[in-house]
Amino acid sequence: MTQDITVTLTVNGRTVTRAAGAHLSLLRWLRDVADVTDPKYGCGEGVCGACTVLVDGEPVSSCIVLAAQVDAAEVTTVAGLAGADGVLDGLQQAFLEHGAAQCGFCTPGMLMAATELVSRGVRLDRDTIRGELHGNLCRCTGYQAIVDAIASVAGGERG
Amino acid sequence: MFVKPFRYERASSVTEACALLREYDGEAKVIAGGQSLLPMINLGLVDPSAVVDISRIAGLDGVAERNGSLDVGALTRHRALEGDALVARHQPLLAEAVRSVGNTRVRNRGTLGGSLAHGDPAAELPLAMTVLEAEYEVSNGNATRTIAAGEFPLTYFTTQLAEDELLTGVRVPKLPAGWGWGFHEVSRRPGDFAVVAAAAVVRCRGGAIEDARVGLAGVSERPVRLTSVEAALAGVPVSQIEDVVGEVDAIEPITDTMASAGYRRRLARVLARRVLADACQRSEGAD
Amino acid sequence: MSADEIRTSKAEELRVVNRPLARHDAAEKIAGTTRYAADLALGGMLHARLVRSQVPSARLVRRDVSRALEVPGVVAVLVGEDVPHNEVWVDVPGQTTEVVALKASMQVLATERVRFHGEPIALVVTETEDSLAAACEAVDVEYDLLPGVFEPEDGLREGAPAVHDQGNLLAEWNIDRGDVDAAFARADVVVEGEYATQFVDHAYLEPEAGVAWMDDDGVLNIRVATQVVEHYRDVARILGVPDSKVRVIAPYVGGGFGGKEDMTVEPYLALAVAHTRRPVRMTWTRNESLLARAKRHRTKMRYRTAASRDGTILGQDVEITSDAGAYAYLSALVLLYSSVHACGPYRVDNVRVRSKTVYTNNPPTSAFRGFGGMQVVLGYESQMDELARELGLDPAEVRKRNSLRRGDVLPVGQPIETEVLLAETIDAVIERAGDKPVPRGPRRAVGRAIASNMQSYGRLVWLNDSAAAWVGFQLDGSLTVRCGVPDIGGGQASSLAQIASEILGVDMDDISVHFGDSALTPLAGTTTATRQLLMSGNAVYEAATMLRNQILGAVAAERDQPVGSFEMAPGEIAGVDQNVPLKQALMICRRRNVPIEALGTFYGPKGREVGRELHAERIFPDFTFGTHLVDLEIDLDTGQVRLLRYVASHDVGRAINPMIVEGQIAGGAVQGIGQALLEEVVMQEGVNMTGGFFQYLIPTAADVPDIESVIVESGEGLGPFGARGVGEPPIGPPAAAVAAAICDAVGARPTTLPITPERVPDCIDRGRSREGGTAA
Repeated sequence: MTQDITVTLTVNGRTVTRAAGAHLSLLRWLRDVADVTDPKYGCGEGVCGACTVLVDGEPVSSCIVLAAQVDAAEVTTVAGLAGADGVLDGLQQAFLEHGAAQCGFCTPGMLMAATELVSRGVRLDRDTIRGELHGNLCRCTGYQAIVDAIASVAGGERG
Repeated sequence: MFVKPFRYERASSVTEACALLREYDGEAKVIAGGQSLLPMINLGLVDPSAVVDISRIAGLDGVAERNGSLDVGALTRHRALEGDALVARHQPLLAEAVRSVGNTRVRNRGTLGGSLAHGDPAAELPLAMTVLEAEYEVSNGNATRTIAAGEFPLTYFTTQLAEDELLTGVRVPKLPAGWGWGFHEVSRRPGDFAVVAAAAVVRCRGGAIEDARVGLAGVSERPVRLTSVEAALAGVPVSQIEDVVGEVDAIEPITDTMASAGYRRRLARVLARRVLADACQRSEGAD
Repeated sequence: MSADEIRTSKAEELRVVNRPLARHDAAEKIAGTTRYAADLALGGMLHARLVRSQVPSARLVRRDVSRALEVPGVVAVLVGEDVPHNEVWVDVPGQTTEVVALKASMQVLATERVRFHGEPIALVVTETEDSLAAACEAVDVEYDLLPGVFEPEDGLREGAPAVHDQGNLLAEWNIDRGDVDAAFARADVVVEGEYATQFVDHAYLEPEAGVAWMDDDGVLNIRVATQVVEHYRDVARILGVPDSKVRVIAPYVGGGFGGKEDMTVEPYLALAVAHTRRPVRMTWTRNESLLARAKRHRTKMRYRTAASRDGTILGQDVEITSDAGAYAYLSALVLLYSSVHACGPYRVDNVRVRSKTVYTNNPPTSAFRGFGGMQVVLGYESQMDELARELGLDPAEVRKRNSLRRGDVLPVGQPIETEVLLAETIDAVIERAGDKPVPRGPRRAVGRAIASNMQSYGRLVWLNDSAAAWVGFQLDGSLTVRCGVPDIGGGQASSLAQIASEILGVDMDDISVHFGDSALTPLAGTTTATRQLLMSGNAVYEAATMLRNQILGAVAAERDQPVGSFEMAPGEIAGVDQNVPLKQALMICRRRNVPIEALGTFYGPKGREVGRELHAERIFPDFTFGTHLVDLEIDLDTGQVRLLRYVASHDVGRAINPMIVEGQIAGGAVQGIGQALLEEVVMQEGVNMTGGFFQYLIPTAADVPDIESVIVESGEGLGPFGARGVGEPPIGPPAAAVAAAICDAVGARPTTLPITPERVPDCIDRGRSREGGTAA
C-alpha cells in the first residue's frame, strides 16, 4: 500500500536519486533515505525551524514539504555551507566566535535562516534580525549570541 | 511525524486535479504549499489516502490588473503577494495582511488559495478578502462558479468548496481613490495564529466617515463583517469612532489555549477601533 | 564578542581559564556533523513507539494486541506482563509512613490502572517507521473511567478519589526557626500575598530519542539523549540483569533543563532490544514530549511577611502546595528545594514554612532548571516589593538591607560561609540600565523593576555526591580526558578541557574529552543540580593536578633538582635553569615508572539526611546569587507586554569561560521570560490541551530584547578556581522582575503565571482603584 516514488534532488551539490515513500517529508527523505542528518526534527509543524533547509535558495521547513513536491530542486543544508576543505563560511565562523551554538540542535536550521537573511545583502539592525528570525526557536542561548553573530556579518553590531 | 503512508498525485491541470479528487471520492486532500495540510497530517489530525499536488499547474499564479480589480492566481505564494508592486499600489491592506502570516518559511511555500481554502477562522487573508469584498473563482474541471469572499467560509475549517472543486483565483477590487485602510492583529508571538485580527476600509471627508467596512477574524466560526457597526458609522465624525464602536455583539468567540472568549471580546472592540482610526487617517491623507 | 562586563575581585594569573574561548564542541555543531541521539541509524534497525493512555484516570479493562500484531511490518507488541520487572521505585526522602510509604513506584507499562493522559500502556516495534502509526492504532485498549484529582487542594479533601492507594499527599516539609508569631506581633508592617505558577515544559529543541543495540559481549547499549548515564542501573533492574550488562552512552544532547534527568526512552528501547535482539530506535514526537514527559510543578504559595519600619524583615510565614502529578518522580525533592529557598537571599530569623506536594491525575512533574528554587522567587521577591511599597522605600535598598551576609544562618539552619555579593549585583544592573525609558505613545505605560535570587548548586549534601575523571597524556604530548559527565549543551565537556589546559599547559585543540559513557568513562554523576562544574570540574582539576605533580616530580628527580623548581608551561616543563620539552618529560616518566595519567575523584561536602521537620547545619554545598532588571512597556488597551531592556548580573565566583557564562545567563533569562509571559501546559480535567509547538509558546528572538549580562566574580565559589555554578540560577528572577515591572507601570501586581496579555487589564483596573480612580 505504500507508494514508492523516485525523487532526484541535488543536496549540497551531490545529486541523489532514490525511490522512497511518496508520503515522505523532505526532512525524512533527507535523513532516512539520503543519510543527510544535519536538518533536525523538532516539531513536525513548521514552527520550530530546526529542519530549515534552502530549496532553490529559499528557506523552507523541510518537515512540512513533501520530497515529491520539490523533485529536481537544489537543496542546501548546513553541511553544505562549509568549503570542500571543511573551512567554515563567514557566518559559521561568526557563530563559532560568538558562542551562538550551545546544545547545537537548533543551529543547522538557524544557520540556514541566517544564511538566507544575510544573502539579501542589506544592512540588518538587531531589531530586524530578531524580527526575521522569529520562525527559528532556540531554547539555550536566549538568542543573544545568535543575534550578535549575524549582526557581526550583516551590520548592526552592538553599540 | 509517524504518518500513515499516503499516495502522491501530481496534477498538471485543473481538470486533472478535479478528476483525481473525484477518483479518490473524498479521501484525497489538495496540496499546494502544504503549509496548513502537512502540519495537520504530521499531528495526526487528518489522515488522507492521497494528496493531489496542484502546485505545478501552470497559469494559476501571479497578480494581474484588470479594470478596477486585481486578479490573483490561487497558487500565488504569500512571499510574492507581499512584494508585489500592484498589490502594494492598489490594495495595501492585502500586502499588510499577508506580512502577518506565519514566518518566512510559511510565506515562501504557502499560497493564497491554500490559505483561503483551509478555512481557518483566525487567518488573516480570508478576513482581508471579506472586508475587501473579493470574489473567488472556483472550478470542478468542467464548470466554474464565483463565490463572494464573505460567503465562502462556512464554519471552522469548512468552506463552500465541494470535494472535487478547486479555488483557482481571486478577484480583489482595487481600493478606490479617497479610501483608507487599516489592519491590526494581536497574536501571542510574532507569526503565531492571530488571537484576533481586524481589517477596515473607510472613506472619510471633512473629518467624518462616509462609508466604512470593518471585519474581524478569530472571534467566530468564520471571519465576520460588523455590518451594524458599519451602518452606525455613516456620517459619524472620526473623533467619535470610540463612541460608536462599543461592545461588539455580532461575534461568538471561544476559549482555547491562546486566549479566553472574554479577552477576544475585548480585542474585538480595541482592534475594530484601531483599524477604523487608521483607515480614516489614511483616507483623509489620501485626499 | 567578549563579556558584556566583568567585575572581578581576587583575580589570579590565569592563562586559559577565565577567557571567552570558542567551545571545543562548537565547530562540529556549526558544521552540522554532530550526531545527536536520533541521528544514528544501524543496519537492520527496528523502530518503536508507545501506545499511550487517552484518558487521565481509568482502570484498564482490556489491552488486546492481536490486531496490531497483524499489521504488516510489526515485529512485536509488548505490554506490562512482558516486562521482567515492571516497576520503577523512587525514593521519597524524609517522609515517614504517616505521610506515605517511604518508596513510591510506577510501572514501565501500565497493566491495571492509568493515572494520567499519556501514560504508556503498550510498546509497538516495527520494521519501518511507516508502520508505527497504524500499529499503535490497532492496539485495542478499553478503559473503565475513574474519577480523578485535578487540583492539589481537591486531592487533600476528605473523600477525594485516591490517585494512589497510600493517599494523595506525597510529601511534606516543615521549617520552624525562631518565633514567628512574636515577630508578627511586634512588626510595624505585615504584607501578604498569594502567588501561583503554572505547568511548564522544558521544550528543548531535541525531543527524547535514542538507539539501542546488543553488543558482541551481551551488553545492552543504549545511546540516548540523557542527563544521567547512571540510569543503566535502573534499566538493568527492569530487565533483571546485572548492572554490568547495561551501558548507557550520552552523545551531545540537544538541551536538557531537567527534562532528560528522569528516564524517557531508555526502558522501552531496552525492552525492545531484549525482546527482538535487533537494534531499535525510538524518537518521541513533539506531541508526545508535551503530553507525557514530566513538567515543572504547578505551585501555589501564600506568603506573610513581617517587617519593621526601616524595612528589616522580622519574620516570614510561607505555605507552599505543589502539584506532584500522577507519579512521584522527584517531586518530594523539588518541594524540599522550594522550602529551603522560600525566603530567598535574605536574612530572616523567624520563619515558618509549611509545604506539601500532592498526587493528581495531571502529568507527572519533576526536575526543571531551578528545581523548586525558582517558583518561590515570585513569592519572596513580590513580597519584597510590596514591603518597599508599603513603607515607601526603594526596593533596591530594602533588598540590600536584608541581604544575607557571611555568617548569617539560613532558615533551615545552614550558615552562609562565603562572601555574598548580592548588593553588588543589584548596583550592577541599576548602573548598567541608566534612565528608565518613557512610553512611546499614548495609551502606553512603562515599568521598571529588579528581582534577586539565590539558587543552590551541587546536590543535597547527604547524597554522598562524587565525580571521577581520568586525565592522561599521549606520547605525542596531546591529552585525553575521560569523564562520565553528559554534555547537554552547557559546555560541560569543553569546560573540562579548559581546566585541564590551564593546569597542564596543553593547547585546547590538542585535548580530547571523552564523556558520558557509563562503561568507558569514570562515572561523574548526573548533569543536573548545577553540579557538573563543581563536581566534574573539581575532579578534572584534581586529576590534572596529580598528573602535573607526577610529571614535575619525575623531571625534578631526573635532573636532581628540588620538586618546586619546575612548572608546567605550554609544550614544556619550565625550570629555573633549563626547560625540558614535554615529550622528553613524558619519556622520563615512563623510564622512571611514573604514570602519565591520573584518576581524580572529587567528593562533595557531606551532611546528615534530613527529616520532614527540616533542620540541617548544612543542606547544600553553596549558593549562587544574582539580580535581574527589566524595563517593559504595556499596551493599556490590549494588555500586551513588550520588554524594552533586560540586564542580568550573577556572582559566578569565577567565570571559567565568560562566553559560556553569558550564554547560560542569557538562555536562563529568556527561559524565565517565557515562563513569565508565554508558556503553559494547559490541562482541562486532566486532559492535556497543549498538543504541539503551535500551542506551547516559547519566546522567539522577536519576543525578547538583548540580555545584557554583568558577571560579578567574587572568587568565593567551591568549584575550580573559585567558580560557582551558573546553570540554573538565571532562570529564577525573570518572572518576579516582569511581574514587578508591570506593577510599577500600572500600579497593581500580577500574581499568577503566565502573565498573558489578558491577565494584564485586571492589573490595570486594580491599579486604578488603588490610586483612587485616577487613570493609569
